[in-house]
Amino acid sequence: MSTRPSTRFRIAVDTGGTFSDVVVADEGGGELWVGKAPTTRERVFDGIAEALAYGARSHSLTLESLLADTSVFIYGTTHATNAIITGATARTAFLTTEGHPDTLVLREGGKLNPFDFRHPYPAPYIPRRLTFEVRERIDSEGQVVLALDEDHLTDILASVREQEVEAIAVCLLWSIVNPAHEERVGELVAQALPGVPCTLSHRLNPIIREYRRASSAAIDASLKPLMQGHLDEMALDLRGAGFAGQLLVGTSFGGSLGVEDVASRPIYSVNSAPAMAPVAGKVYAPGERSVIVCDMGGTSFDVSLVRDGYLKFTRETWLGGRYTGHMTGLSAVDIKNIGAGGGSIAWIDSGGLLRVGPESAGATPGPACYGLGGTQATVTDASVVLGYIDPDYFLGGRMPLSAAAAREAIERNVSEPLGLDIERAAHAVLTIANEHMVSAIRDITINEGFDPRGSLLVAGGGAGGMTVARIAEELGCARALVPRTAGALSACGGLFSDIVAEFSISRRADTNRFDTEAVNGGLAHLGAQIDELFTRLGTPPELQEREFFVEARYPYQVWELEVPLRSGAFAGAGDIELMVEDFHRVHERVFAVSEPGQHIECIYWKGRATARLPKPALATLGGSADAPPEPTSMRSAWFGDQGPLETPYFRSEAFAPGHGVSGPAIIGEPTTTVVVYPGWRATVTETGDYLLTAAP
Amino acid sequence: MTATSFDPVLLAVLSNRFESIVREMTNTLLRSGRSAVLNTARDFSCSIITAENELLASAEGLPVHVIGTEFLAEAMTEIHPDFAEGDAFLHNDPYLGNTHAADHAILVPVFHEGEHMFTACAKSHQADCGNGLPTTYMPAARDVYEEGALIFPCVQVQRERRDVEDIIRMCRRRIRVPEQWYGDYLATLGSARIAERRLVELCDQYDRDTVRSFITEWFDYSERRMIEAISQLPAGELVGSATHDPYPGAPDGIPLIVKVAIDPQAGTIELDLRDNPDNYAGGLNESRACSTNNVMTGVFNSIDPDVPHNAGSFRRVKVLLREGSLAGIPEFPHSCSMATTNIADRLVCLTQAAFAELGDGFGLAEGALGMGISYAVISGRDARFEGAPYVNQIFLGSTGGPGGPQADGWPTYYLPVAASLMYHDSTEVDEQKYPLHVHVKRLIPDSEGAGRQRGAMGSEVIYGAKGAPMMIAYSFEGHENPARGVRGGLTGSPSDGWKLDREGNRVDVPMATAMEIEPGERVVSRTGGGGGYGDPRARDPEAVAEDVREGWISRARGMSVYGVVLRAAGGTLVVDEAATRAARARARACT
Repeated sequence: MSTRPSTRFRIAVDTGGTFSDVVVADEGGGELWVGKAPTTRERVFDGIAEALAYGARSHSLTLESLLADTSVFIYGTTHATNAIITGATARTAFLTTEGHPDTLVLREGGKLNPFDFRHPYPAPYIPRRLTFEVRERIDSEGQVVLALDEDHLTDILASVREQEVEAIAVCLLWSIVNPAHEERVGELVAQALPGVPCTLSHRLNPIIREYRRASSAAIDASLKPLMQGHLDEMALDLRGAGFAGQLLVGTSFGGSLGVEDVASRPIYSVNSAPAMAPVAGKVYAPGERSVIVCDMGGTSFDVSLVRDGYLKFTRETWLGGRYTGHMTGLSAVDIKNIGAGGGSIAWIDSGGLLRVGPESAGATPGPACYGLGGTQATVTDASVVLGYIDPDYFLGGRMPLSAAAAREAIERNVSEPLGLDIERAAHAVLTIANEHMVSAIRDITINEGFDPRGSLLVAGGGAGGMTVARIAEELGCARALVPRTAGALSACGGLFSDIVAEFSISRRADTNRFDTEAVNGGLAHLGAQIDELFTRLGTPPELQEREFFVEARYPYQVWELEVPLRSGAFAGAGDIELMVEDFHRVHERVFAVSEPGQHIECIYWKGRATARLPKPALATLGGSADAPPEPTSMRSAWFGDQGPLETPYFRSEAFAPGHGVSGPAIIGEPTTTVVVYPGWRATVTETGDYLLTAAP
Repeated sequence: MTATSFDPVLLAVLSNRFESIVREMTNTLLRSGRSAVLNTARDFSCSIITAENELLASAEGLPVHVIGTEFLAEAMTEIHPDFAEGDAFLHNDPYLGNTHAADHAILVPVFHEGEHMFTACAKSHQADCGNGLPTTYMPAARDVYEEGALIFPCVQVQRERRDVEDIIRMCRRRIRVPEQWYGDYLATLGSARIAERRLVELCDQYDRDTVRSFITEWFDYSERRMIEAISQLPAGELVGSATHDPYPGAPDGIPLIVKVAIDPQAGTIELDLRDNPDNYAGGLNESRACSTNNVMTGVFNSIDPDVPHNAGSFRRVKVLLREGSLAGIPEFPHSCSMATTNIADRLVCLTQAAFAELGDGFGLAEGALGMGISYAVISGRDARFEGAPYVNQIFLGSTGGPGGPQADGWPTYYLPVAASLMYHDSTEVDEQKYPLHVHVKRLIPDSEGAGRQRGAMGSEVIYGAKGAPMMIAYSFEGHENPARGVRGGLTGSPSDGWKLDREGNRVDVPMATAMEIEPGERVVSRTGGGGGYGDPRARDPEAVAEDVREGWISRARGMSVYGVVLRAAGGTLVVDEAATRAARARARACT
């Protein structure tokens, strides 16, 4: 890791489908700049360059001099996620054990509404016509039941070649216990189809459950041609623009990895943008026991959790909908996502109940107030009606909104059918929209045995600051934080991320007949992989962190719980007992019951390597809080049953650390709006962020 | 449209809150349950019942469980009028409102400041319930005594939040692999206790009067939605009939009938099951809870799926049952061992298929039924783990789902009463947990019931025992009477099953039995395909071409049954439009 100490800047980028956010940390002045520009699909670097050049100019720099003086560039991208959603991935073949061709078709079953027969069964990630059955079989104990038939495989590979596939995924049953057949298939693929990228399931994601492993391999292989090209292009463009530092790419582990590592395992970049939000949340809320991080954009709402400084992980990440999409199968930062945002449409159902979503007006025609032809009432329209959004200062005044159109949409679609006045109707729309977000938060916290009441809520995204106080109120949280950089939370997360890699191994061990030697062997294998990574990165020992976890269950259960291990090896019976006790505690927390005295079944062992990167210090802002902040105007706004209230509007420039305002008040930041409700108080922290607290 | 003084926003917020509590209950049971039937097949339900014993909320529950849980709460309030905070009751009595003896329900009365507000109910299918054979399904049981299950007519299992140890000891003595049972008991209890905690918090946040007004309003709202949904149906009197395959005790099969009267103006549906045969000496008799919920499931499958499923919408559906009928109210001591599957599945299907008679756009075809040998209860001793005993139901190969007015059937249907809600087993997880080896697991080409929207394919599963003999208890159905199509849609392929001896020779086996297989032998399970909806020759030719390309149907079948002619182009098969038009015109001319 050749971090050059002389360089001044660190840059993190989050390239979304619509906008690219950039954040630049200036080690010299200790300042953070945030910028935004439309994503340029043809050449992604162009949009990033535009946003960077704009920021550079205001700091008397050129793009080239900025990049030349940058040590680390952390690239967060939804390129892989978008390719999956739009079906733009490579034409990929799936090779699997003979007799079991429908693994990707059948997934794991499940459906949301048992009475709904209106939706077609979703297509598999790789079509059946590109699925090939390999004649071989290994059993659960690793014994070869049927030797690999290489002649048969050669014939298959000839057909694969005829099909002009661009990538190959291999997942054979029990390759996690005995990888010999999968390895040999990999060799023969390399001979028969040189240059065609191939993913072997046991190497990528050595977990039991053939669907999850196969799905990981299929997704990974299908992304290789595309992502390898894309990342090469980015590296080339950056170098061309004068960048000579280290290029890292954001991953779904809530960390980053070297560009080569992600190019060879592109699935790691899937869902990486939302996984970065809690990294930022952690930085903005140091020392908090439990932090709930929400990112509210125009069409989606993401929630994640940080407990005791740890990001919450899951093995169940679905792309494109639970049950009907595709599971990545990897351990990744747990993101609960719902389709709720500023564009969500409010409507009245046949029983007279107000509903919000799941339909969204999207960006076109968008909310009625955009004046682009939308006539349906959306959450953004409701915010305009209530006076939370200044129609003349939307996106810093770049996009004037029509307050009249917003009122008309709310009136016709909500207030008339419900017999409520317009402001009450608008408030009702926000209440229902908030309720969906509250549910999503409750699902991710309470289901894990965490009480949201003691937590700090961190709100990001353009709409985050507008609703967070009400959500906090519903959840019983007394505090919420809106970072100044809320509009670019994921990019900020990238800036503060470390290099994180995970390695896992399936090694079943029951604690009533624990094979300490075998388990220690497995853990040592993970440790060696971690060491190898650190060596490759050149990470000095003081910046290395190793953590080990077991995923275990009670006898007869099938779903595992993750429990951190106290060390990377078991010294004796006492260590095993400690692990079992830790498991009982986690089980009690999550499921309200435990079974003391019962042994546990350990299924996976996981090692996480963290190479800590130097972090920009969060700058302490200057300015004096001696004089009270001056509002730019007074307007009427509505807050539930209270309204209209004369409400002061502030621009962010009016504030310095230590300043505070009591609600009602509205604060316009360039990338977000903070609504301070009556009964709440906003205080500006040392780093210029807004801490909202409920009046006791 | 609205006739309510209750705050409409609070109505939406609170309804969502109750759903969220049930989701939390569900998650707890799924993740912490021990037996596969819970943690994989999701054969359980969680619900919140009001103090007046009306079903209020039940998110993501299996249809066969959801409707009728209020009968359980009725039993609690009648038998234990002095029930108190901290109590829990165990109820699995099919003669007293439960589905069947294998479903153990835990009922927890929820008090707020001393007042009974709700009853939380978590009901879960057990891996074993003490039957005469190591299976929770006893098709041949002549009565409840031969069935052998331990029956708990709503008995107290916790007092002051502590187990009544007598009951626990009884279960530990008479239920196979008692540790597994106790783990499931803990999971079920935990689920009900979590609901209790959340409901008390909810009553703390909103006062009790508000919560009570909400309940009244929510039921009224749900009823309005139901009236609206029924008003969209044509008026009609429909008759649905079907025949369950011959089974032990019923050698000629079992004829079944439902009469449906739809009155869109009054906004009511009446379902009459009284013309069904009397209880018989076998295990397929329906319990009252099952007879009721099966035909209601058929109704809910045929209307707007967004209508809430609670006591409010149920007000508009009347189910007429007869005492002593095998599809009605069971007469003790007839066995209801299989009340949740066989006749239950038939009743769901014949009701939804009857709705299809109303016209194009209504109802559904029949889905394929019967638990194949791929859903057997397996038991024995595992040589890999020092002969440790095991008993569990496996879920390896689904039946085919029904075609509907808009969509093809789903191949993950499993049963009409499960409706794709359940998960299925990972082959690797099964092979690791049990001494089982799965040789084949795949969908069967050309097994679908053809239609404009086709049924889903059935599946083939072949497996055998490793290291020691294995007891396999199974009961398949739909072999003689496979899933029928509607509105011109065709019948799905029948279910089947046999054994392969060590030499690979086919050995016939009964449709329902418990048998031991030796290592080296294999069993073959072929589940049926779902029925089709509408004329297959009206199916979009492109959809037929896609099915052929994917291998779900053969090119020949595409031509003969769907009238679609394909031709090779650019390394793949595409529709020959002119030839297809001609073939379809010829077919029309012939009929």
